[in-house]
Amino acid sequence: MVGQIVKKQLLLLLRSPVQLLLLIGLPIILIAILGTALSSFMEGEALELDLKVALIEEENEEEQIERFMKDVEELGLPEEAVGQIQLNIAQAAPIQLLKESVFGNEAMKDVIELDLAESEKLKQLLADDSYSTVIEVPNNFTYDMLNYMVFEEGVQPSLQVYQNEAALGATVVQGMLEHYQEQFAIGSFISKNGLEQLSPQIEQQPFGEIVSINQDKPASARDYYAIGMAVMNVLFIASTIGTFAFLEKKDHVFNRIILANVSRWTYFIGIFLSGMIIGFLHLLIIFGFSRVFYGVIWPDLFAFFVVTLAFAIAVGGLSVLLTAICYRINSEMITNFFSNIVVTIFATLGGSFFALGELSSFIQLLGDLTPNGAAMSAYLDILRGESLADISNHLLFLAIFAVALIVAAAFSFPKRGSAA
Amino acid sequence: MLELVDLSKKFKQMYAVKNLNMFIEKGEIVGLLGPNGAGKSTAISMLSSLVEPTEGDVRFNNKSIIKNPAPLRKVIGVVPQEIALYEDLTAEENLQFFGRIYRLKGEALKRKVDEVLEQIGLTDRRKDIVKTFSGGMKRRLNIGVAMLHEPELIIMDEPTVGIDPQSRNYILETVKRLNQEKQMTVLYTSHYMEEVEYLCDRIYIMDKGNMIASGTKDEIKRILSAEKTILIQADFWNDKFINLLNDNPTINRVIITEKEITIIVSKEINIFPMLIKMAEDAKIELNSVDIKTPTLEDVFLHLTGRALRD
Repeated sequence: MVGQIVKKQLLLLLRSPVQLLLLIGLPIILIAILGTALSSFMEGEALELDLKVALIEEENEEEQIERFMKDVEELGLPEEAVGQIQLNIAQAAPIQLLKESVFGNEAMKDVIELDLAESEKLKQLLADDSYSTVIEVPNNFTYDMLNYMVFEEGVQPSLQVYQNEAALGATVVQGMLEHYQEQFAIGSFISKNGLEQLSPQIEQQPFGEIVSINQDKPASARDYYAIGMAVMNVLFIASTIGTFAFLEKKDHVFNRIILANVSRWTYFIGIFLSGMIIGFLHLLIIFGFSRVFYGVIWPDLFAFFVVTLAFAIAVGGLSVLLTAICYRINSEMITNFFSNIVVTIFATLGGSFFALGELSSFIQLLGDLTPNGAAMSAYLDILRGESLADISNHLLFLAIFAVALIVAAAFSFPKRGSAA
Repeated sequence: MLELVDLSKKFKQMYAVKNLNMFIEKGEIVGLLGPNGAGKSTAISMLSSLVEPTEGDVRFNNKSIIKNPAPLRKVIGVVPQEIALYEDLTAEENLQFFGRIYRLKGEALKRKVDEVLEQIGLTDRRKDIVKTFSGGMKRRLNIGVAMLHEPELIIMDEPTVGIDPQSRNYILETVKRLNQEKQMTVLYTSHYMEEVEYLCDRIYIMDKGNMIASGTKDEIKRILSAEKTILIQADFWNDKFINLLNDNPTINRVIITEKEITIIVSKEINIFPMLIKMAEDAKIELNSVDIKTPTLEDVFLHLTGRALRD
């Protein structure tokens, strides 16, 4: 009996070309578009920005340092203290640091091309669109900075920064400069408060280090979007099944089923299994296609099937809950709301469009509390080589989610055919 | 076989059906006649266990089916007023699906599907998708689905609504044949009195949720045995003539339409001389005056003052 209900739902779906196109054709197209368009960002190629930065020094830094040391010596400080200041200045010459530690940093060397220029060329450089940023070091910058840092005199001097707003990497350079200035501000604060012993040498901190987090095999853009689109689109199965079921009620076919002495629980189970089986098949089709055409290969097929099954069960739960609510309120408003609003919210939180969870752990948690988000995290983890044990939290969530929906649906399902 | 006892259904504060009493014996064709909105479909929904009554009881073989409808559901087939089919499946797939949910399987299911397709005249369209069918073909398949499990009692709720005369005749003949050849009990609801008159042994007439008459065709028509129906036709009417008719104490009822006036008078009254006099006084030229054989329509008119299809 249940088999007949599932078979009939499959037949109805196969006879609905528009639904088929939306459920299967659309995600395949989206995977191709998003996977191709965003591959450079997703696969770490974004740092291959070709940034050109020009640096203009109005006054030679070494001369300023010499002038500063001369002032120090005239103060009549003990020789030992003068020697210490000289040593520190040698390590903390601000423009030298900017050239070597910031723009000359190992991680940045391949990204940023630093050109040193004369001050007369400022106008010419500003007119040149190939430069993302032009930095002008004003007169007395180093001298003032050393006075500020060593003797707490005056205010912290600033660099004059000209940004080419049209250039893609201008904000990257701006961020680096802000970080650089903050370091000097912190250094000065530490020095003023005698905290040198407690603080690490800030100029020795690595700048822009890239940390890989537990990725045996990082996911490519196509991997990511194959998963993202599949887990999002399979949610539409639930609303499709809910719509089919509501049409059965609207067209009085459900009454016929009830009059045939089919218990409402048999029908209920039929709807659940339809959602689950069609959801499972849908995921297999999308991932099968992704395997053949986009090279999305699962390192652990067993784990893949376990996640797919767990997610399909959750989709079955969603299908039966939407059906029950449609029957209860005698309207398909809920399936429309689900497919138009809820799926979009779930897909965004779950990371189907972009890795929203990387913004904060709270958003990641929210995403993992959606069925598609939990499934997506589980799929990505498997793809990166993690085991079933590592994704047990996601599997457990999907199981609890499915059970909760089934229970809610059972309570909402009307008792008799027409008596909703 | 099946009995409705003081059955009522209230939606919010309004009764859709009130104190309905009715019985159906095995092998008969019973008609439930009434205009649209009379409460026929609500009565059928309660009778077939789809809707729980607010008051009263439905008894099948002397046992209430309100709480346990399973014994009734096993032996009834319901043809709803709506086309309750999967329009994206073929005729054969529809029959196979409903056959399976009626627990038919294998060779028995195949044989039954073939037989029903033959009975409803759709054998050559069995592989066609239902949404490509005409209204009449859909109606026939709608009936076929209810016949699959050979029900003892088939309930047909306005099965001929909105179809062509040819399909309508086909359906009426099918109902008659099912009753005669398979001794199927039929409850047939309609607002077409000629269908009910043609098919049914006994008739119930409903209006505004109440049962207003019941009995065999002859018994019901005997309601009018003390009266006769006279049809008067003219090119136009005037107020004077109508007032004369209404004021005449020997005329029991006057029903006026554009070109016809129907009057109901006692059988023993010879109304013709009086009618001619009234027409002369009102300066009306009568085209014809006929005495009608009473029909169920006349009975309904007599009981409610309205035509069935008003």
